[in-house]
Amino acid sequence: MSGPTGDRMIRVDMTHQTAEIVDFPDEWKLLGGRALSAKILLKECDPSCDPLGPDNVLVMAPGVVSGTAAPTSGRISIGGKSPLTGGIKEANAGGEPGQHLMRLGYRAIIVKGQPRDPDKRYALNVTADGAEVVEADQYKGHWNYALIDELSKVYTKAASFISIGPAGEQRLTGASVACTDQEKDRHPARHAARGGLGAVMGAKGLKYVAIEPGKARLREPAERKLFMALCKEYTKAYRAGPQMFKTGTSSVVPVANMLNTFPYKNRTEGQSPDVATLDGARIIESFEERGGGMHNCMTGCIVQCSNVVHDKDGNYKTSALEFETLTLLGSNCAIQSWEDVADLDRLCDEIGLDTIETGAAIAILMDSGGMEWGDAEGAKKLMNEIPEGTELGQAIGNGAVAIGKRQKHARVPVVKGQAVPAWDPRPLKATGLTYLTSPMGADHTAGLIVNPGMPEEDWVQASQEVQLVNAACDSSGFCQFLQVSLDDIRKFYGLLYGEEISREQVADMGWQCLQDEWEFNKRAGFTAADDVMPKCLEEDEIGPAKVKWDVDPALTAKMYTRFAPREELFTMKASG
Amino acid sequence: MPQVAVPPPYRGPTAGLETIEVEGSTVEACLKAVGERFPGFGEQIFDAQGRVHRFVNLFVNGEEIDRKDLGHAVAAGDRVEILAAIAGG
Repeated sequence: MSGPTGDRMIRVDMTHQTAEIVDFPDEWKLLGGRALSAKILLKECDPSCDPLGPDNVLVMAPGVVSGTAAPTSGRISIGGKSPLTGGIKEANAGGEPGQHLMRLGYRAIIVKGQPRDPDKRYALNVTADGAEVVEADQYKGHWNYALIDELSKVYTKAASFISIGPAGEQRLTGASVACTDQEKDRHPARHAARGGLGAVMGAKGLKYVAIEPGKARLREPAERKLFMALCKEYTKAYRAGPQMFKTGTSSVVPVANMLNTFPYKNRTEGQSPDVATLDGARIIESFEERGGGMHNCMTGCIVQCSNVVHDKDGNYKTSALEFETLTLLGSNCAIQSWEDVADLDRLCDEIGLDTIETGAAIAILMDSGGMEWGDAEGAKKLMNEIPEGTELGQAIGNGAVAIGKRQKHARVPVVKGQAVPAWDPRPLKATGLTYLTSPMGADHTAGLIVNPGMPEEDWVQASQEVQLVNAACDSSGFCQFLQVSLDDIRKFYGLLYGEEISREQVADMGWQCLQDEWEFNKRAGFTAADDVMPKCLEEDEIGPAKVKWDVDPALTAKMYTRFAPREELFTMKASG
Repeated sequence: MPQVAVPPPYRGPTAGLETIEVEGSTVEACLKAVGERFPGFGEQIFDAQGRVHRFVNLFVNGEEIDRKDLGHAVAAGDRVEILAAIAGG
């Protein structure tokens, strides 16, 4: 037995609005998600291209075990050249599209070209029988939730969607790509947010992708009995353990504050006086009176880290109100209440924007005197300016660097043009090295290390190892919050394809993904000179220990030479 | 002597030490012993009222204990482990 065979890819030409089904190369069968996207981009995308032009390539690729019975395995990678960083980008999301595409046997959607008329909108319909580009002008300018409401009248109840909001249509470099969750209402709340890939999708005139799974079944592993036994054993062990994410990442707020990595007022401080009112515990408390609760964003998830948040009247407000959003749109802007952050989160999801980049941009506006600190209502009004296309709205939608330039403001905390996430590099030096050397720019999901006491001599290896493990995880389809190890991934792959897969093979796949991405960036013009922290993080001290970024630049160069694998590499958990 | 296992996010005050042997016959005594040796550690575990922070999970020999059960007995060779969910997201 060989496991799933006959997989295909969908090649889309947006210049001519055609879609073609092609065979998926058998030699790529252990490539998925991020690694597959990197391989395709290195092969088919000119790294020197205009990210918003016809030569950029947009990839949508689920993971290797997506569409199977493996727990929490339906993640999808959206990839392309980022208009925000100018380098390669992979942004990862949950929801249903990854599961559906793989059940239909589609390993990737590859979108090239650009319509001649930039005002036209199109959609891609995907079914078991093939794919078709159709006109979609009637949805032009639709916010994401209204779009899904309309599409729900046209497609079956089972369909899932990948879409952009007005920010992507306006090609704003903070624009996200939304995926619908597995709830009956199909909330467009799962965002492949970082790096402006929504703008790339918008530049290709693609408003949405609709996937009709029909009667598609779970993918059949080569060793079915053993695979199912592994799924059961893994799930049992997970449920018997501490289940650290059962109340969601929003519960991390007080710990992060304690560690001086809950940035306040554009990162001028590491702790917030509003920690109690931004704490995820307040969201959990709201469930009793208002409804909502914890749920899984994709079928088959056993972690259930996502929250469904209701307003005071018990109506749905938003979903996936996460730690990063509570930090960047809350504490970082001195906005005090989680309820206001929930409103801003909903606005980001509707307009199609990265909450981290948007929160960083608003904080820079406040820091430069363009707005009062903590003005939550002002922030909401400002967000509404984005789809209206005002000059200030566009600057916010284009992110931290754009608003910093507009305001002629010096404190712009970005690496390679992308806003630094909540996890601050000043107390978390190893994480800072991830930000500097990751092909993604400042991205905590590329490799987060929360170990303030780690000796300096361990930082580089720790960052390299977690970057490798996370690259492998983001290629597998498993969610990082399942906290799989390379050994876990190896077991599932081996039973999926009925092959003996060595530890070294899985580790090599993670490393090769990083190598492909670094090579793309090199060809795009990146050099060692780009592996730098912004001056504000080198100069501004935070916390009682008055830490700043003062790491020897010589350490970053060591990241690109592979360390000999040690036992920890294979057993450590993905961390993002 | 019992051991206290310190998770990575809490190793700032312990200068990176992962496992610390202490004198103590209860969970509370062991945690406070670490706090006395490494200033700053205690505040990561206990709030101003002396209760364990809500976000801290405690285990003895791999079995989770109620964070209110600070009088849980420990013996020589026992392992007190602190877990915290740090990621996100």
